[in-house]
Amino acid sequence: MINLFQKHVNRIARTIAATLLAALFITFLLQIFSRYVLHSPFGWTLELCRILWVWIVFLGSAFLVQEKDHVTFNLIYSSSSFKARYIMSIVSAVAIVLIMGWALLPTIDYIDWMKIRKTATVKFPLTGDKIPLSYVFSVYGIFMISIIIFYLFKFIKILKNGPSEFDQSKSKLRTIVKY
Amino acid sequence: MNIELVIFLITLFGLAGIGTPVGYSIISASIMYFTFGDLDVALAGEKILQGLYKSFVLLAVPLFITAANIMNAGTITDRLLNFCIAVVGRFKGGLGHVNVVASLIFSGMSGSAVADAAGIGKIIIGMMTKDGRYSRGYAAAITAASATIGPIIPPSIPMVLYSVISDTSIGYLFLAGIVPGLIMGLVLMIMNTIIAHKRNFATEPPVPLKKLPKTTIRAFPALLMPAILLYGIYGGVTTPTEAAAIAALYALFLTGVLYKSVSFKSLYEILVDSAKSSAAVGVVIGGAFILNYIVITENIPGLMTAFLQDIDISPFTFLLLVNVIVLLLGCFLDATTIILVIIPLFIPICKALGIDLIHFGVLVVVNSMIGLITPPYGILLFVINAVTGITLKEMISEIWIFILVLLFALGIMILFPQLILWLPEMFGYKV
Repeated sequence: MINLFQKHVNRIARTIAATLLAALFITFLLQIFSRYVLHSPFGWTLELCRILWVWIVFLGSAFLVQEKDHVTFNLIYSSSSFKARYIMSIVSAVAIVLIMGWALLPTIDYIDWMKIRKTATVKFPLTGDKIPLSYVFSVYGIFMISIIIFYLFKFIKILKNGPSEFDQSKSKLRTIVKY
Repeated sequence: MNIELVIFLITLFGLAGIGTPVGYSIISASIMYFTFGDLDVALAGEKILQGLYKSFVLLAVPLFITAANIMNAGTITDRLLNFCIAVVGRFKGGLGHVNVVASLIFSGMSGSAVADAAGIGKIIIGMMTKDGRYSRGYAAAITAASATIGPIIPPSIPMVLYSVISDTSIGYLFLAGIVPGLIMGLVLMIMNTIIAHKRNFATEPPVPLKKLPKTTIRAFPALLMPAILLYGIYGGVTTPTEAAAIAALYALFLTGVLYKSVSFKSLYEILVDSAKSSAAVGVVIGGAFILNYIVITENIPGLMTAFLQDIDISPFTFLLLVNVIVLLLGCFLDATTIILVIIPLFIPICKALGIDLIHFGVLVVVNSMIGLITPPYGILLFVINAVTGITLKEMISEIWIFILVLLFALGIMILFPQLILWLPEMFGYKV
């Protein structure tokens, strides 16, 4: 049940992420086109790119990036004994759930408060209204909730099945291009 | 040191040390800091969001990542390699030279060392080890070493990151990387020649000169990419960020339209993978914005400068010291972490000591790229191991000599800032 749910979420997340990145790319090209070919910049392109970038980072981290794809320092973890890894992964999961959970409501308050600020140039396509920044930043709230849930499940999983193995070469097999 | 800073450091190093993702460790630690410092805990989210949202330069990161992924998916790399074999394959230790030259050209097209090692590297290691002409370890080692040039010659993802944390011009940084990249290529080729003579490596059958024009034409559209990027940026047509989009577009045009080697399905996979990599880096970049806020709140720059005035350190000693620190950290930490988390601490001191930030940036990037091939934590070694199956043990016994020559190149760059700075100065940079 949960696996099936995860599979669907993952598929939707992949499609959304690919679409957002494609949109970022196209918007950028439009910007260059408007400035150097039409000689009158669209104006809204830059702001839209920045919105898309924020969404790619946090939606991606929430639903797409697996723990092993993240930038981590795992020398200690990978060379520790089973028992030590058990403790480490429990501490890590519990700390994130508690700390992120503690900051969740104040952060949502902040995001909601940002409704007083609006985008400068990007407008809703149909109504033509400017977009409140709370909409733009809401993705960070989604990100926090998803991280809390993920580590809560991870915590339960560790209690049931023990800590995950860590093989560095395997984790880098999915060549993450970042340098 | 106040209590909130102590708790911050304990949480940060504690969580990151036991394998929590670095980005999440920074967010958690800063929430603790704000809690115990009686500040609003929402500041963590605010700094991340505002930082990512306001930085225009950062938009180059997802685009350069996408461009690199597109190039590796198509046949661009094959054509490039055939061209390099025709040009330098005829010399002693030919394929070793091909390896370095191909990396030099590829580095002018992509800003990623990992993309270089996983793309070109994989193919050329296959060629070098066929018939046992080169030992597997040697083939892998020279590939890893030459891949470090990727982010030195523009475009460069790590330089984009450095430009954000140091507030320097990305355009000048890119220019400053060109000569150091060539120096690194040169020392690697000299080392390859020496070893090739010593171990009597094979020479490629020389490609007849009359075939050269054809090979060049086949590779020409790919060879044009660095020229387009440089002209775009320095001819004033695009900003460095926009050049990233042009690079991706051109790579898409080459692989999709001209060479017809990328399908829609694989394009979709490329976009997903690129979004994933961008998000993973983006979280750490976001974390760097909170760190920056805390560093300023605690007036760490002021404290460090005062400390340095007390011990009366010379700029040269300081540069040497920082480079040793970065080199040591590079053995254990990820380059992203070093540039985004550690380096911001040194920037104010550089300013106080009058060290040029462009010079400093190039040194830091070169140094942390050497960190990509230093055991035990050398990402490039892992990547090559993953794509070729050559064991870390085989690589490590051969990689030392290349690390040494790259360090020699770094030493030259530390001693002679003018080597790095003359090109930006020609384009109007004022030290």
